[in-house]
Amino acid sequence: MSRTSNRADGDIVRDFLSVADILEKPQLAQLYTYFAREGEATVQDVMDDLDFAQGTAYSYVNRLVDAGVVEVTHDEQPRRYTVREIDLTVTTAAGNREYTITPALIDAVGRRESNADIDTYIDRHGVAGLATALTYGVARERGEVTHRLMAEDLDISPLAAELILQALRPVVYEHYDIETSGTSVDELEIGGADAADDA
Amino acid sequence: MSTLHIADTGLFVAMGQPSNGRYQAVRRFARRNDITFVLPERVYGELTVDEPDVEEVPVDTAIDEGWADVAAPLTFSEPIVSRAMDGVQRYIANADDRAADEVERADAALAALAARHLNEGTATEVYIYTTDIAAGEGAETVLTSEGYADSVTFVNGFRFIEDLLSPGCKRGTELR
Repeated sequence: MSRTSNRADGDIVRDFLSVADILEKPQLAQLYTYFAREGEATVQDVMDDLDFAQGTAYSYVNRLVDAGVVEVTHDEQPRRYTVREIDLTVTTAAGNREYTITPALIDAVGRRESNADIDTYIDRHGVAGLATALTYGVARERGEVTHRLMAEDLDISPLAAELILQALRPVVYEHYDIETSGTSVDELEIGGADAADDA
Repeated sequence: MSTLHIADTGLFVAMGQPSNGRYQAVRRFARRNDITFVLPERVYGELTVDEPDVEEVPVDTAIDEGWADVAAPLTFSEPIVSRAMDGVQRYIANADDRAADEVERADAALAALAARHLNEGTATEVYIYTTDIAAGEGAETVLTSEGYADSVTFVNGFRFIEDLLSPGCKRGTELR
């Protein structure tokens, strides 16, 4: 194996460890998602928009920079930061299953602090379980599965499935292309008087 | 002409608690248009399951307030009810490359309830409010093949509530 490819292997392992670190710490996930959404931001922006104390904001930004998932784009004060895109595919040794860790999963984990349903779900099923739920969330919005199928597959109650699917829905819409479906309220032909008024 | 409004689990979960603006918007919509949301028995069962660490879904409050009700148990003596049931199970199974018998029967109960009322003539028009697109589209497709194309409408529960809350919505904001 050449020296260059060895170095590339090291990069992959480093990315993997960085991502694992972010997924363990919801504030880091929230911060990564913030930079990804903003494109470019300063520590002051982080303090203002995420309501982080100054010390916390600096320490978390530095952790993301050290991990190599966020980089400085503008080195003069105030420094501006941007993300390095994460798209890491993990494959099992047998090669029969793989999962890609995407910004969507990081976003979902980052919402743990502000969303009780995501928090409860991670408590019960871990970040790994949340990754599975996110896969179902995308499939459900695409009309491929229902909350009941998810409940049956994962051996949870249909209500628990519906709750986490609804909690993850904003993440799904932010990171995936989904077509809208169903009829809008104004198209409903309810009651004779309404129909006449609308004509 | 009578209209039936069938609600799935996701609609009630999406409304939140009675103090929530979403719940209030749906209740206002129901009252202004003189609508009762009917829940298949299985849906009511899902909503009232005891789930630890989860706030109770206020379906019983809606029932007490008079704008929601639980449907009588489905009987399968009418062939159209069984056909609707099987048809939707096949539709959902197909969407995800599964065997039809793996599909939960509650998914098909929405369409089966619609089929019963259309067939018996107790409803001439049915709206199905669900957050499961596969279940809503499946119901529309199957009932269309039964000749009820113009009588069944799938309403996406999320979009329904978002529409009711949007300032431009005629039915959500104006008193009639």
